[in-house]
Order: sequence, then C-alpha cells, then structure tokens
Amino acid sequence: MKRKTKPWIRVLQYAILIIATIYAFYPVWFAILASGRLGDRLYTLNFLGMFIPTEWTFENYRVMLFERPFLTWLTNSLKVASITTLASLLVSTSAAFALSRFRFKGREFFLVFLLAISTFPGLLSLVAIAQLLTALGLYGKHLGLILAYTAGTLVFCTWNLKGYFDTIPVEMEESAMLDGCGPLQAFILIALPLARPALAVTAILGFMAGWGDFVFASVLVPAPDSLKLAVPALYALANSMSVPWGYFAAGAVIVIIPTIIVYLSMNRYFEGGLTLGGVKG
Amino acid sequence: MSAWMGRRKWITVSLFLLPTILAILVFNVYPILLNTYISFTNRNKFRPNPDCEVTLTGLLDPLCWPAFRENAPTGLGSPYTLQDPIFANYDALMGKLFQPDALLSLFLIIVVFAPLFGVNYFNKRQERKLDEKIAPGLLWVLGIILTIALFFILDVPKSIATLMDTGDFLAVVLRTILFVALRVPLTFVLGLILAIILNLEDLKGKTFFRVVLFIPWGASSVAILLALVWQFLFRQQGTINQIITQFGGTGPIWLNNPILAFGVVVLADIWFSYPFFMVSILGALQSVPGELYEAAEVDGAGWWTQLMKITLPLIRPAVLPAAVLTSITAFQMFGTAFAITGGGPQRGAGTPGATEFVMVYAFKQIFQQQNYGRATAFAVLIFIMLFLATLYSLRITKMTKGAYE
Repeated sequence: MKRKTKPWIRVLQYAILIIATIYAFYPVWFAILASGRLGDRLYTLNFLGMFIPTEWTFENYRVMLFERPFLTWLTNSLKVASITTLASLLVSTSAAFALSRFRFKGREFFLVFLLAISTFPGLLSLVAIAQLLTALGLYGKHLGLILAYTAGTLVFCTWNLKGYFDTIPVEMEESAMLDGCGPLQAFILIALPLARPALAVTAILGFMAGWGDFVFASVLVPAPDSLKLAVPALYALANSMSVPWGYFAAGAVIVIIPTIIVYLSMNRYFEGGLTLGGVKG
Repeated sequence: MSAWMGRRKWITVSLFLLPTILAILVFNVYPILLNTYISFTNRNKFRPNPDCEVTLTGLLDPLCWPAFRENAPTGLGSPYTLQDPIFANYDALMGKLFQPDALLSLFLIIVVFAPLFGVNYFNKRQERKLDEKIAPGLLWVLGIILTIALFFILDVPKSIATLMDTGDFLAVVLRTILFVALRVPLTFVLGLILAIILNLEDLKGKTFFRVVLFIPWGASSVAILLALVWQFLFRQQGTINQIITQFGGTGPIWLNNPILAFGVVVLADIWFSYPFFMVSILGALQSVPGELYEAAEVDGAGWWTQLMKITLPLIRPAVLPAAVLTSITAFQMFGTAFAITGGGPQRGAGTPGATEFVMVYAFKQIFQQQNYGRATAFAVLIFIMLFLATLYSLRITKMTKGAYE
C-alpha cells in the first residue's frame, strides 16, 4: 500500500498506541516505583511521584536480599522449575517421538485421551494429589512438587512437540538409517536439532509453569520458610499486615523483570515454535 | 518408520510412552476417580477420615493403603460415608434447577436468543442459493432488534435472577460465562486493533511498541504477583482514586462494589491476555497478500469494507481456534480474581461473591470451607462442561485446518 495516510488517522493511531502502552506498562512501572519508596508507603502523596521516581532508595532491595530468606526462595524456585523443565522435556520428547514416528493401534485414541484427561482442572485434583503425596511421604517436599508440575505440563508439551516433529520430514531420518543408524539414533541426530525452536518454547513454558505457579506451591509446600518458593512466599508477604509493602514490591520486581526479559527475548520463537506446533494457548 | 516391526516395535513404543502413561495415571486419572467418588460422600471438615472397611473407600483413598499408613496422619473427626440420597451434593448445587419456575426461566432465556440462531441458520441456507437473497446484514439487524425487544418483554433479568437462586452451581457458572463473554471479545478487539496498527509498513517506532505491548504476556506467567499490583491500583487510596482526587472528584471504593469489582477483574485479565491475541493476529496478518487490498482499493472499497471482507475472513482460520482455547482458559481463570478480590464482594454470608468464578469458588470450597463433598461434585460438573467444550474446540480446529490446507 503506497497510499499516504491522512494526518489525523496517523494521530489517532499513535494515540491508540500510546494509551495501550500506558495500559501495558503502568502496572509494572508502578511495582518498580513502589520498590524504591521508603518503608511501608505503597503510594506516594505527590502527583508526580505516581509516574516518575521522585524518591528512590535501595533499602527495600537490601532488606529483601540480605535480611529475609528471599534468596533461598529464589534458589528453591529456580531449582524446582529447572528440574521440572528437564524432566518434562525428557518425558514428553520421548512420548512425542513415539507418537510422531510410529504408527500403532490406539495412537489417535491416546492423543485425544491425553487432551480429554487434561481438561480436568489441576486445581480440582489438588486434594487428591496432596493426599497421594502425603501417603508417599512427599508432601511438603520439593520432589513432590516437581512430580506434580511435570505431570501437569506433560500433555501440553507432548502435543506441542509431537505437532512440531510431524512437520519434520521422516525421509531425512530414513536416509540416515540407510547409512546404518538405528531409528532412535537417527531421530536424535537428525530430527532433534531441527526441532530446536519447539524444544525451546516447550522448555520455557515448562519452566514458567514451575516458576510462576501459586496454587500448587502454596498447597503442597506450605512451610517452612526455608522450603518455600518465591511466588507464594511473596504473595504471603503482601498479605501479612506487619510487613512493609516496599519489601513485597522489591521482591516482586526481582521476580518479574527477568521473567519479562526472558519472554521478550523468546518473542520470535513464540511466533514460530507455537504456531507450527498445532496446539496454541 | 519401517525399521522396527512387530513385537520389537511394540516394546519400543511402550517403553517410550511408559513415563507419560504412569504420570497421567497417577496425577490425572487417579485424582479424577477419587474426586468422583468423594463427590458422592459427605466428606467435610468434620468428617475428614476414610472408613477403610468400605470397599471403594479402602481402594481409592490413599490414607487406607497399607503401605502408606505410617506416613499419613488421620485427623480429628469421624469417618465420611456415602451420602443418602446418593446425589445429595449435586442436589445442593443445582437441585432447584429442575423445578417448574427455574425451567420456565431457562426456556424464556432460550426463546430470547432464538431469533439470532434463526438468522444464522437462515443465512447459512441462503448462501447456497444464487438469487433472491435477502441481505444478511438486514437480517442480522432484524434479529438483534427482535432479541432486544424480547429481552425486555420477557423480563430476562428476572429469569436470570431466578436461575441464580437455584444453587451455587448456576450462580457461579453464569457469572463466569458473563466474564468470558466480556473478556474474550474485548481482548480480541484490542488485540486486533493493535495488530492492525503494528502491521502498518510506514509506522515509526514499531519495534518499540511491539516490545512494550508484549510485556504483559511475560508478566502473565507470574500472574498472581501482577494481579496484586492491579489490586493496589484500585484500592480505596490507590493510584486510580488519587488521580481522580487530583481532578477534584472522589473515587468509588472499587472493590466493594460488585459491578466495579467485576470490571476491575475484567480489565486486569484483559491486560494479561491481549498480547496472545495480538501476536496470533500479527502472524496471521503477515500471510494476507497485500495485492488483495490494492485490488479492493481500485474497486473503491473503504477501510471498513476491507476489514470486514478481506482481513477478518482471512485471519479467521488462525484466530478461531485461538479464540476457543482462550475462552476455555478464561473460564478457568483463577489467579486474577483470587488476588484482586478474593471472590468478593459478597452480598450475604454463604453465597458466592460477585467475582467468585468457578475456580475461585472451587478453591474456597476446598481450602477455606473444607467442604470436600460439595467441592468435588462441583468439580465433576465443571469437568463435564470443559470436556464438551474441548471436544468442540478440537472440531473447530480440525474444520479450519481442513478448509485451508
């Protein structure tokens, strides 16, 4: 389209974009501003201070990092989320390999069955899972949480990876097999490197399932402080009357900013790795 | 793949699927079975313990399994038993729905929407004909006017109120459906507008806006923390009210007013979810050939006509499955409402609050009231709904795929 845009339309477009930008950015900006405010003041009383940092202190960050078990929570979260990612990648890649590269009886049924079963909301099966983990002696331990997360991400990861593997032509692996590879070896050497975008997206989504989750973590690992994960611990911090808001804000900023940066850097992959995978959401 | 045949193939396939099958059996199938069973019992905070002598309880409840007995402490209180009558939990949730006045209300509501379905059906039939068409737009206007007229003649608000009184299930589900019906179209429109603007070739600062507008998606993976921030913004002394005060007004107490609280939750949840639509639509727009617009321009088609006749139909196959899936996830929204309002504001004790959507209701029933029997019955009903919705979404995905491959 080479036609020149009328000036007022251009103005309208920018107006929409700027309003949307404020809408998109202000909540995050608010958290950043609140994290630099002294003591328990969540809000500032001067008008300007709501939009630009008129006062700034690193006191909240210092307290969170050095006087609270925040670093322990972060480490716990990182540990749980990373192990979940590895476990769910391993399990779902092997399942997706079998579902994509072999034709067997009950294959279609199994795929639909996975999807149907996963429509039962995780939150509602939490009581049963908590009881089961109690019985196994895993309640209140990270391992139990990791198992629950891995199972929770499995269906989505398997579907997504299977969809992506389907788009990689089998012929390449078959030619490698003519040269003496076994099917599994051919798959690992040829198909897996090609599926990198889908693996990356699956890994990130698996990681975020553990990193950002609130319900499972707060029910399955309720105490003690040294075992808590960052997100539920911060939520509890914000809801307790005796703790200054600034601490919560500082902790939230430390959790939120890296998460956003990871997503922004994965932006390209999301468009490719998800749409090709067939399952969106 | 042809290399492995027969028994060898079966062993390989089973080995590769085994971890998945095990995980699904333990963490998905088993909870569903236990849930369904509990939904027929009177388990609650006074009767938390299993009576292991009952065969099914002994079989399903992990507290009864001999291997685990030493790990699992039994709480205070007496054992739970099967309800008498067996559907008592379901009856408490939605029993009154089957009484005459509730059924009448349901019927009236269906009648109100009948003209719209009629128009849709009639237009579909008309599409096959070549001549003697009545303009579909005109029919839609007629249908909508008829619906609005019927809405007031038959007093739909009263019917809805009657239905809401039939028990927690419908009250919660209708509210959630209203939430989905507001949230998904608004998200779609916002995503569409932003995607169309960002897709313009000669726009300056495109990369900047793309990055900033994408931020909420990243934030949505730690949704509960950001939802708290939204709550801060809308508190009585929150930022929004401070801004209103600056301009000489007095802000309302947002989260104590049912309608305003609902609006705040919708606004916050749109914030979390519009980037997904924006990105899907942007991707779809890039595959629309530019020549189509040039040709339309030559034919004198305006901006609106281009949008309705070219853009929307061409992005439909990519966006429709996304929309259906988003509706299903919006139906299960938990964090936003839980962090912002905690399900409130409530009109009276014991009734679900204005923003108590299905998952919030379930969470509160399970973890705050410990009303397991009722909560699991609710879970079973929701499962049936979601299951049907997912099957439907699969059909739509297949349909759109088949049409454009």
